[in-house]
Amino acid sequence: MQLAKGKPSAGAFFDSDFSTIDSVLAVAVLFGMQGKNDCRVNILTMSRPNLAIAGFADAVERFYKGPAGNFSQVPPIGMRTEGAAGETSPAFTVPFQKKNADGKPVYTNQVKTVIETGDPNTLIRNYLEAQYDQNAFFVLGGPATNLAAALDFAGIPDLIAEKIKYLVISASDARINADIAAARKVFAEWPTPIVVCGHEIGANLPFPGASIDKEFAEAVHDNPIADAYRAYQTMPYDAPSGDLAASLYAGRPQEGYFKLSGNGTISVGGDGRTAFTASAAGKHQYLIFDPGQKDKILKTYVELASAKPAPPKRFKADAAVDEKPEEKPKQETPPPK
Amino acid sequence: MITKKTLPRRTFLRGVGSAAIALPFMDAMAPALKASTIPGGAPVRMAFFYVPNGMIMDSWNPSYEGKFQELPRSLKSLEPFKDDILQISNLTHNTGRALLDGPGDHGRCCGSYLTGVQVKKSLTEIKASVSFDQIVANEVGGQTRFPSLELGMEDARQAGDCDSGYSCAYTNNLAWRGESQPLPPMLDPRALFERLFGTGQPMTKEERARQAIYRRSILDFVTESTHKLESSLGPTDRRKLDEYLSAIRQVELQLERAEKDTRPIEPGMDKPYGIPADFSEHFKLMSDMVTIAFQADQTRIVTFLMTREGSSRPYRELDIPDGHHPLTHHRNLPDLMEKVRKINEYHVRQFAGFIEKMKATKEGDGTLLDNSMIVYGAGLSDGNAHLHEDLPTIIAGKGGNYFKTGRRVVVRRETPMCNLFLTMMDRMGVHTEKFGDSTGRLQGLDLG
Repeated sequence: MQLAKGKPSAGAFFDSDFSTIDSVLAVAVLFGMQGKNDCRVNILTMSRPNLAIAGFADAVERFYKGPAGNFSQVPPIGMRTEGAAGETSPAFTVPFQKKNADGKPVYTNQVKTVIETGDPNTLIRNYLEAQYDQNAFFVLGGPATNLAAALDFAGIPDLIAEKIKYLVISASDARINADIAAARKVFAEWPTPIVVCGHEIGANLPFPGASIDKEFAEAVHDNPIADAYRAYQTMPYDAPSGDLAASLYAGRPQEGYFKLSGNGTISVGGDGRTAFTASAAGKHQYLIFDPGQKDKILKTYVELASAKPAPPKRFKADAAVDEKPEEKPKQETPPPK
Repeated sequence: MITKKTLPRRTFLRGVGSAAIALPFMDAMAPALKASTIPGGAPVRMAFFYVPNGMIMDSWNPSYEGKFQELPRSLKSLEPFKDDILQISNLTHNTGRALLDGPGDHGRCCGSYLTGVQVKKSLTEIKASVSFDQIVANEVGGQTRFPSLELGMEDARQAGDCDSGYSCAYTNNLAWRGESQPLPPMLDPRALFERLFGTGQPMTKEERARQAIYRRSILDFVTESTHKLESSLGPTDRRKLDEYLSAIRQVELQLERAEKDTRPIEPGMDKPYGIPADFSEHFKLMSDMVTIAFQADQTRIVTFLMTREGSSRPYRELDIPDGHHPLTHHRNLPDLMEKVRKINEYHVRQFAGFIEKMKATKEGDGTLLDNSMIVYGAGLSDGNAHLHEDLPTIIAGKGGNYFKTGRRVVVRRETPMCNLFLTMMDRMGVHTEKFGDSTGRLQGLDLG
């Protein structure tokens, strides 16, 4: 049911196993785009039961969203409770050791037990119900486990078809192999278009690590993203950016950062190998790296990921069009059909 | 003990006119040797006491989970009964949220509270769904005189705009018989009394006047049948009958006092005839009759709207002349928050009086409270922020040896409130796999 003529910016949903710093940066970029009114970050869900990482993701979410305020809320991190917790990078724990001048922790971990997290399916359903039709996108930066489960959850497939314009998958062999059955299911049953950001995209667009001590530090003194980046690996380093690229494309498909392949259908074999069958009616496409856009993309990465937290613009149905902060440049790449 | 005569479970003291008093369970109704055991087990009763405008949550939730230690400020008056209550935290009503419908959290949260659906934002096209109490009433209500009772204390008007385009039908009702058919609460204690102890319908004006002229108690009309029954009862049952009839008489006397009282009630309205001016007196009258109705198995299902959702009732009895709803938008100002805390405490204090009565009423080997599940809750948690998660929820009573009380259970964030309803439906003997936005039954509440 829709009551208004206009729509707010697109609702963003992000799911990951948070096994790389790339996923963390992707969250920062999504929130950076929220500050530019390109999207509204709804929920973060994770596909492995790791409370330490859930605690960090929750701290990041609160960093950007602030405490629950009037008529607003900070949703819990959706966390799968089955499966293995897996490895926990220092990126997710070291930031909590940081103290301010008074000796108090800069970031607080509010996720001590599974109670402080939410069931991913329930969260996905609840937050999809709050989206306008075809005005949300999903970014997958990990194994497809949660998304496959969501496709089996009563009501969610219909909501996806109704609300989600497209799913952008930051894919790699490792992620597909981590849950082949889930990947097969998602490619076979996801009701709306899927755009795949292959591993080579992220490899071609290494995130400029030098920005952590420059742009990030200039924007906000204590930023959990920057602190996680420093703890993830010995500095300086430039991190591959597949999840970043997927998120950037999802939030700004019109910007022409990437080219798109023709339409077709991607299938996943029992051994995890993918095959693409071209067809005009196919709902799947690949992102294609455009070397001419590299500098622009890297600059945008830094600008968005280091941006100060900014709440989503308050949406007034009749004034939604006027709320866009700036005119968009001419469309160079069409969004997926 | 064994009595000489076996009474049917549905026995009434009948008298002249329309008087008919249903009896509580008695030993004489149990043909078995172990007379204190109710045949087939005591029926489980279910009630919802709803308070509006959310709570000051830091005074509602304790800082711990598990076995109750010191109760938080708002629950203090339940201290004598803390072994009989179960607090559940983190339950959520997603359908109370705006989703795409804009302002109107008060209208939505009350409309969705027992229906589990997002209600239609409209003043004229009322649309919710059958509330879960009515689903249960449809299944088990035929076993009692009244399938359910819908009670309230404030405003029962059904039309008009009560919240940002939401009809008053949403803020002023808890129970829904159909998707566009709310069941308005009965506010008048006299009408409730006559419903329970008469033909099931309120008396006509003439009948009421005739009875008033003679200042006669309902008990006077059944004197003959009372004496006849007493002569066939053992001493335990005679005492039980005496206590029960005394409770009815107490309610009658309270009613008479209320009817003589002509003080205006808030907000600046003439007091409707028979409704006590004092909030706590009104609540006591209504809740005492709930106890009697449960005791006599007149009904097993009650919904009780303490005040309507979004209520702006002032609480002058607490020296709070401000309206409740405006106060809850306290902007975190300490003095306003303190007033809301006092209102929260006051409401719980009334409820504690009801729980005391339920616990004092013996039934079989236990108490009426043991065989009940009385939910006290709200459709908003933080009324200032209009939050629909971590809804204030306590259950008083064990629901017939089921709930493990005396503790706080914290469920996973965003767990649907409807999951609790599925569990409660099971206890009422109604089994279904889905209600509202439920995702399964609420686990971990039972004694096992």
